[in-house]
Amino acid sequence: MDLKNLNEKKIPIVKINKQLERFRGKTLFPEKLKKANEILTRVGLPKTV
Amino acid sequence: MKYPIYAYTSEDQLMLYEFTSIGPKGNVKKIVEYSVTSIENVYNLAFGDYDEKIDGINDKSVTNNGDSPKVLATVASTVYSFTGRYPQAWIHATGSTAVRTRLYRMGITNNIAAILEDFRVYGLKGEMWEDFLIGEDYEAFLITRKNK
Repeated sequence: MDLKNLNEKKIPIVKINKQLERFRGKTLFPEKLKKANEILTRVGLPKTV
Repeated sequence: MKYPIYAYTSEDQLMLYEFTSIGPKGNVKKIVEYSVTSIENVYNLAFGDYDEKIDGINDKSVTNNGDSPKVLATVASTVYSFTGRYPQAWIHATGSTAVRTRLYRMGITNNIAAILEDFRVYGLKGEMWEDFLIGEDYEAFLITRKNK
């Protein structure tokens, strides 16, 4: 897929990159995940849910 | 989206994406990650520069490659990809600093009309999630698809 088509699609077709699978099971942003869990534990989801 | 995006790739679960920012500081590889959180169906979105020296992320780096709108539009595009695979997902995002969080807010604001066609967007104000309003300062953001 060329970039023009990629830009126009809402749900893009993504090329799979096997090299990225070496990160599977790892958390690359542990501090951000920790912060997210703290917020979600404290506040939960929006009350309209 | 209003801005062009970079081409990106992903591993087959569509939870990790990679693209390259191109600008005056050179080619900078970026990683976008969706992590499982402590709440079912809620994922944390984070992105940053890939650092070859550690084969990991430098979360605090400031690239200044002059392409923030394009980078943010690319990250936004991965939200479409990710929620295409996981339509029930809620996506949480916050910056590593207040400045980064404002950058996220700018990215949402710049594309708000397109985003609201398909997503509900909330901002965290104090201890409450509220519908995202342009110009408001938020600690974090939550995004979910309207039609699941």
